[in-house]
Amino acid sequence: MLLFGASITFLVIRAGPLDPVSAILGPQGDPQAYNAIRDQLGLDQPLWQQYIDYMVNMFTLNLGESWVLQPDTSVYSLVVSYAPRTIWLGFWAVLIAIFVGIPLGFYAGLNPNTFSDYIASFGGIVWRAMPNFWLAVILMSVLSQSEKFFFGFNWEGFLYATNVTGPPPLGDLTSVDGFLKALKKIAPAALVLGSASMGNEMRIGRTAVLETVNSNFIETARAKGVPPRSLVWKHIFRNALIPLVPIITGEAFILLGGSVLVESVFDISGIGYLFFQAIKNGDMPLVGSLMFIFILLVVLINIMQDFLYTIIDPRVGYDGGA
Amino acid sequence: MAQKETSAVRSEEEPLLSVDNLQTAFFTDKEVIRAVDGVNFDIHRGETVGIVGESGSGKSVTARSIMGLVDSPGRVLSGSSITFRGEELTEKSEKQYRSLRGSDIAMVFQDPLTSLNPVYTVGNQIKEALRLHQDLRGAAATEEAINLLEAVGIPDASRRVKEYPHEFSGGMRQRAVIAMALACDPELLICDEPTTALDVTIQAQILELLQDLQEERDLAIMFITHDMGVIAEISDRVNVMYAGEIVESAPVEELFENPRHPYTQGLLQSIPGNQPDADRLSTIEGDVPTPNEPAGYCRFEPRCPKAFEDCTRVHPASVEVNDEADDHTAACLLYPEDASQAEAVELHEQLESEREVSER
Ligand SMILES: Nc1ncnc2c1ncn2[C@@H]1O[C@H](COP(=O)(O)OP(=O)(O)OP(=O)(O)O)[C@@H](O)[C@H]1O
Ligand code: SF4
Ligand SMILES: [Mg+2]
Repeated sequence: MLLFGASITFLVIRAGPLDPVSAILGPQGDPQAYNAIRDQLGLDQPLWQQYIDYMVNMFTLNLGESWVLQPDTSVYSLVVSYAPRTIWLGFWAVLIAIFVGIPLGFYAGLNPNTFSDYIASFGGIVWRAMPNFWLAVILMSVLSQSEKFFFGFNWEGFLYATNVTGPPPLGDLTSVDGFLKALKKIAPAALVLGSASMGNEMRIGRTAVLETVNSNFIETARAKGVPPRSLVWKHIFRNALIPLVPIITGEAFILLGGSVLVESVFDISGIGYLFFQAIKNGDMPLVGSLMFIFILLVVLINIMQDFLYTIIDPRVGYDGGA
Repeated sequence: MAQKETSAVRSEEEPLLSVDNLQTAFFTDKEVIRAVDGVNFDIHRGETVGIVGESGSGKSVTARSIMGLVDSPGRVLSGSSITFRGEELTEKSEKQYRSLRGSDIAMVFQDPLTSLNPVYTVGNQIKEALRLHQDLRGAAATEEAINLLEAVGIPDASRRVKEYPHEFSGGMRQRAVIAMALACDPELLICDEPTTALDVTIQAQILELLQDLQEERDLAIMFITHDMGVIAEISDRVNVMYAGEIVESAPVEELFENPRHPYTQGLLQSIPGNQPDADRLSTIEGDVPTPNEPAGYCRFEPRCPKAFEDCTRVHPASVEVNDEADDHTAACLLYPEDASQAEAVELHEQLESEREVSER
């Protein structure tokens, strides 16, 4: 899987339209310099040689140096400086989706066809249907002028003075202050990024609960005299979580893609933003390495999904994970 | 089933469960479905009462009404009465009902493959019942669960308690479900088609198991099925249900020898083997109607080969089929058979005017 992904990446980068040499030289570079740089970067070697080099480097985690974006900086140090912001963003986006979406969905599923169910379901659909960039823009403009909309409540001055956009200050997460500050900073972006997942998880959660409630073993449990509280917590929730596992992990992938956009809008210089820039500038090692990291993440998420399955559902063996 | 009770003995002692004019309706947006419409029957200790009828005749709803498990939009209508050991159940609060469920009245459902929660071990689910009703926990509960599994014939029970439902075969699962139902020593066991989903050999084993358990524990069993063969094997007494009503009720041998209601006759004729000359099985034409209004006619009339004019106008009440037969009733205008037809119809009309029909 890892091997396959890396190979595809190699193909796409090398065979694709990326031309790092012209990017370094600019549009008016003369052919001689072009060839010299080409030589220097090793692009004149046969393709299979490049491929072997690339693969070996990747798997020994020798990520190389950036060619265009920040020449002579190692990719490794770039990733280290950009990644935490993205991780922070993704972490909260997933968390918001899980802790708002699933409870709302479960609540709606337990009280089907009531007023609150309709509100939640309808809200979920609308929320889900809003495109990320649109939501981002709206949220940004509302929050930066929050006094006008919320009767004097000022988001930017709330708790800590911050701008709505810009990278979160991650220097000091161990103190309560620093933590809250970073959290507040990331909240709008995480909300936007997590919004689609939130709506999704709510909908699926609702259906899952409804299905579980109507299943035979719930009736058997009721016939056994199980009180409603333990019926819900013990018998319904755990079963309703099963169909949510692939949804949550599946959304983690979408978040990877979504983060490119959200990071640009909110001006958070994270991995997504870096990736975007790297592609634009034909920075081959950077693109290759980032792709490789994404693939690593995908594999990790898959392993986590199998792990979650084995915890929740005894029918799934660790090897048999779907 | 094993001990043949005479009707004299039967009427002497107080019944364990007595259902009187049970009416359960579902109030849907479109219509009110009177799924159970004026059902009466008794179950005595140690007795097996069978309930047969085609799909949709209201058997499961009857069972759920007794368990107090009828969900919205359904409701047991006022005027219905269910007494268990002399206590009225329909007036119980949900909490009082819950302490009864699983401990005094237990239920086994149709599909053993889905009756157990897939994410907990079999032992866990048996122990849950023990904890709820007998306050047994820990090692004592585990031991009791193992005993129960052994009692229902599961080999290697001490290992099996720790396994999940998917590691059990269908027959084993139904045994486990029965073990769970018996965990708190109930007096009445309601079985809703417990063998329908199993193949024939396993079906026979489960029936045998139920018979053994009944003898051991003096259990009363209400056995729901649409299989006449199973009914013949297991019950002492049979109630035949059609469109929410009990149309015939008799001891099992009497019913099979002398079926009186045209519907019962049709059901018995449709058993393979009962009609050696026919090339084709005679089944009853048509479907069970959905009872969506109080009946002022016979609900079987459209399918009845013996229907006559009055059947569309008078709702038949349950009457003794004739003077000699005691304990054999049918709800059909042809009976009592020793009366003339006009007299019989008049009797039904009069009985009907006394019947209490609830709309709410
Ligand atoms: N939750 C419900 N909402 C509306 N109608 C219902 C509901 N449950 C049962 N009914 C109706 O009650 C009637 C009797 O259903 P019931 O399940 O008791 O039939 P049954 O005799 O058990 O049939 P089967 O042999 O298929 O189990 C049916 O017409 C059905 O449409
Ligand atoms: S009352 Fe009439 S229609 Fe109904 S079963 Fe008897 S004969 Fe048939
Ligand atoms: Mg049924």
